[in-house]
Amino acid sequence: MIGLKGTLNIIDNSGALLVECVNVLKQKVNNGWGSVGDEIVCVIKKARPITGAASNAIKVRRGDVRRAVIVRTRKPVRRPDGRFVRFDDNAAVLLNNKREMLGTRIGGVVSADLRMKGWGKIVSLAPKVL
Amino acid sequence: MRIEKCYFCSKSVYPGHGSAFVRNDAKVFRFCTSKCHKNFKMKRNPRKVRWTKAFRKAAGKEMTIDSTIEFEKRRNVPVRYDRELVQTTVKAMKRIAEIKQRREHAFWKNRMAASREKLRAHRKKTVEKTTVRLVEPMAVESMEERVREKIKVHAKSRSALIPGEGRSMGMDID
Repeated sequence: MIGLKGTLNIIDNSGALLVECVNVLKQKVNNGWGSVGDEIVCVIKKARPITGAASNAIKVRRGDVRRAVIVRTRKPVRRPDGRFVRFDDNAAVLLNNKREMLGTRIGGVVSADLRMKGWGKIVSLAPKVL
Repeated sequence: MRIEKCYFCSKSVYPGHGSAFVRNDAKVFRFCTSKCHKNFKMKRNPRKVRWTKAFRKAAGKEMTIDSTIEFEKRRNVPVRYDRELVQTTVKAMKRIAEIKQRREHAFWKNRMAASREKLRAHRKKTVEKTTVRLVEPMAVESMEERVREKIKVHAKSRSALIPGEGRSMGMDID
């Protein structure tokens, strides 16, 4: 259940740490609430500071508006077999204009629902899929 | 599809039932019902909640070491389907369940035998502590009779509601 003003952790290495959702891109039936696999527009609220050596890895700074895809939600998500899965926090991964990942690595668990929604690339990069 | 065990009560969680919570370190907690989920959210320890399997095992209320329990195990190697094997397994399951039930009953009886003595001792102690004196039934009867003799009924106590001779409740019309 991600909506306007919802905050999410960023779990890739793009440099952002915390983002705030400003829009959930419309799907057929999301009714304005984003769940796992949904794309959002977000503002970066907190980013890793840019230092000389690691500046090439960090691609975003505070205040940037970016697209992201939700990878974990606190709200239980129903699986096709009827089970419900919920996570510890809300998390997302930043995207570029071509709907590709901005970062190159993912640190943390992602939901297995992503593969179903067509985000196989993210699933393959994640260290753990549940 | 596999039948998982509930994290809290150790009951089986069948496909399509229950919910799972994934911690950020990728540990999965499965729950059979919302009751177990709520108890988990309240940060209760399953070993300290009396209705869980974990408590019963920890408190010595159920068999923990038995060959019948060994059959139910998490096996990570899939077994190729074999008609013969399935048949014998189904047959064995029934037999094992029978044996398990009998052993559990014996275990329970053993446990109860030990606890019965404890209960008796406890009752004796409480009886000694309480100061209520019971009177024998014969004594009670004699006391009642004595009381009955003392009661006197006044002859005058006639109700005004009952119409007597010459006195009627109705109004005189004359």
